[in-house]
Amino acid sequence: MTQPPEEIRCKGLGVSEGIVIGQVLRMHAGTEHVYRWEVEQAEVEGECRRLRAAVGGASQQVLSIKQQAEKRFGKDHAYIFDAHLLLLEDEKLIGDIENYIIQERVNAEWAVKVIGDRLLYLYSQIQDDYLRERSADIEDVMQRLLGGFSGAVTQNRKLSGEAIIVAQDLLPSAVADLDLEYAQALATDSGGWTSHTAILARGVGIPAVVGLRDFYRRAKTGDTIIVDSTRNQVILHPSSATLKTYETETAAHAKVRGRPPRKESGPVRTTDGVAITLRANVEVPSEFNGVEIYGASGVGLYRSEFLLARRGGFVSEDEQCLAYEAVAKVAGTHGAVIRLFDLGGDNLREQFQEPEKNPALGLRAIRFVLSNEEVMRAQVRAIMRAAATGSLKIVLPMVADVSDVQRAKDIIEEEANNLREAGRRFAEVSVGVMIEVPSAVLMADNIARIVDFFELGTNDLVQYTLAVDRGNDAVADWFRTLHPAVLRSIDQSLQAAHRASIPAIVCGEMASTPAYVVLLLGLGATDLSMTPSAIPRVRRTIAGIDTGKARTVARECLECETADDVENLVRERFVQFWPQLFDASSLPQPKPKKTGQAV
Amino acid sequence: MLERTLIIKGRLGLHARAAARLVRVTSSFQSHVSLRRVEGDVTADAKSILSVLMLAATEGTELHVATDGVDQEEAMNAIEQLFAAGFGELETESSI
Repeated sequence: MTQPPEEIRCKGLGVSEGIVIGQVLRMHAGTEHVYRWEVEQAEVEGECRRLRAAVGGASQQVLSIKQQAEKRFGKDHAYIFDAHLLLLEDEKLIGDIENYIIQERVNAEWAVKVIGDRLLYLYSQIQDDYLRERSADIEDVMQRLLGGFSGAVTQNRKLSGEAIIVAQDLLPSAVADLDLEYAQALATDSGGWTSHTAILARGVGIPAVVGLRDFYRRAKTGDTIIVDSTRNQVILHPSSATLKTYETETAAHAKVRGRPPRKESGPVRTTDGVAITLRANVEVPSEFNGVEIYGASGVGLYRSEFLLARRGGFVSEDEQCLAYEAVAKVAGTHGAVIRLFDLGGDNLREQFQEPEKNPALGLRAIRFVLSNEEVMRAQVRAIMRAAATGSLKIVLPMVADVSDVQRAKDIIEEEANNLREAGRRFAEVSVGVMIEVPSAVLMADNIARIVDFFELGTNDLVQYTLAVDRGNDAVADWFRTLHPAVLRSIDQSLQAAHRASIPAIVCGEMASTPAYVVLLLGLGATDLSMTPSAIPRVRRTIAGIDTGKARTVARECLECETADDVENLVRERFVQFWPQLFDASSLPQPKPKKTGQAV
Repeated sequence: MLERTLIIKGRLGLHARAAARLVRVTSSFQSHVSLRRVEGDVTADAKSILSVLMLAATEGTELHVATDGVDQEEAMNAIEQLFAAGFGELETESSI
């Protein structure tokens, strides 16, 4: 760097608390569009040269990744990168691509795409599940190669130490694969409060700013960056004055924050003695120790689809069983709730179907597993087998009414019988449902009669009740967690559970945000599940409030007409009732810029 | 030319990582090395990982191995060792 570049400040949405100064590591979303164009005969040679250059660049990257991986995980684990390297060196593969350029007179990117897709197709024909899954390696190499043309990842060499991940968007699979120990913070162009990036960042306890719109393009790997979630911004190339200010501030923070002060666990009581159970949501193993660290009463929600994201394809029954056993072990006597694969066409690289026009309303979650019965059967067998070693429950995602539930329960019972007949070790498990779509709320009394428990997925409930995509920045102002319609839906669902005498766990972001937690308690919730790192602050909040006042505010909110009215009321009442817990800055801001902020 | 029939050991078969080991080993010899599935009759150049992967060889697959060249014996020995060791794959790594 010859001349210090100018400081750039970019506004976004701070979705996970904290301030970190570090270096940028650009991460590719891995889904770049590839276009085809024809080239003149004279340009063909140039395209071949570009191909060779991209291959060289990609090899360099893999090599450095491999070396880092060897250092960190040992030689055995780095061998997978050796496979990637060999693919890039494979004369047959590169020769095929080159021939395609020459014969079709097209740009090199397109040739890579065509030959890569052919290869993936051949691979998809392989009979063996495990080998077929490994197409992920080929896809990885192809993506890297394509990245080599645009230069997007050519500098991706600083995997060695800690880094701040900068990306346009982080797909769940990319986030799951992130070495979270080395990620100091996340900064992405898209996403909102409840995007997967945000949820994971909070789970792991690293700062994140999302919705930066046009930041990825400007940042280069190795640039100095400050991620300041408390001020909803990131600063690229900070000036020495800015750096100094921040260094002082983070040093002060480090003293206050640190590890959780003293260990508290088990349920927490409100000032009027109501016991509230606090559970952990987990999805990746790096979060598992949070259950113990933050004193959670087991796992309230295990998002099993992350198992697939990490592996880039379906996972065998035996492997799933091992994974669920690990979750049961972490959860201990309080048990863990395993949510069946909550995914759809948008998660599954055309493996199962054509892309859907509207995946959020498409063949996903319970609909997907019921339509791919073998997938579901293998999963429930794995869960029931793992339940022999620890306490596990099943929760069905996105049910619309009793018919979904009945079909799923029949399948679970059949598989229990199959396991019994086969003489396998297993345990029968209770079955609950996620209440997250409006029809399930309206039919909650009927559903409650045939299930063992409810689990309220508040993120999806907000999204589906208000018909607002939670990942879409353009409609972020319409994503209002405190909308009276949302609160009424929660109220109805909790009451239905109460009438049927079944437990109801509230999960989703509402359960982890102090201001929302008060309202949930006011609506009668006594069982919450959240990202582990949120547990201490929720515990603190609950210990300082009484359910009587919470109920009063909640009832008032239910009568409000708009989300603004609810938020105004919350701001007014909370500061009045619990001034020691809430001040203006910890409550939803008058402008609907964010949906909530923690204490 | 030397020829031998070997069986794939190792739960995961000749997947990417195992294939990488095989290709690294075969590439260190001058001899030409080919693999042919006994069942299905697919042939692969053992120095091309792509070609090896396309064999889709799972646990128990029989492969006909042929080495041909100045160091064909050493190459065959090394390959046999690798097959016997299940390509150095551990039984199961942490699966989550």
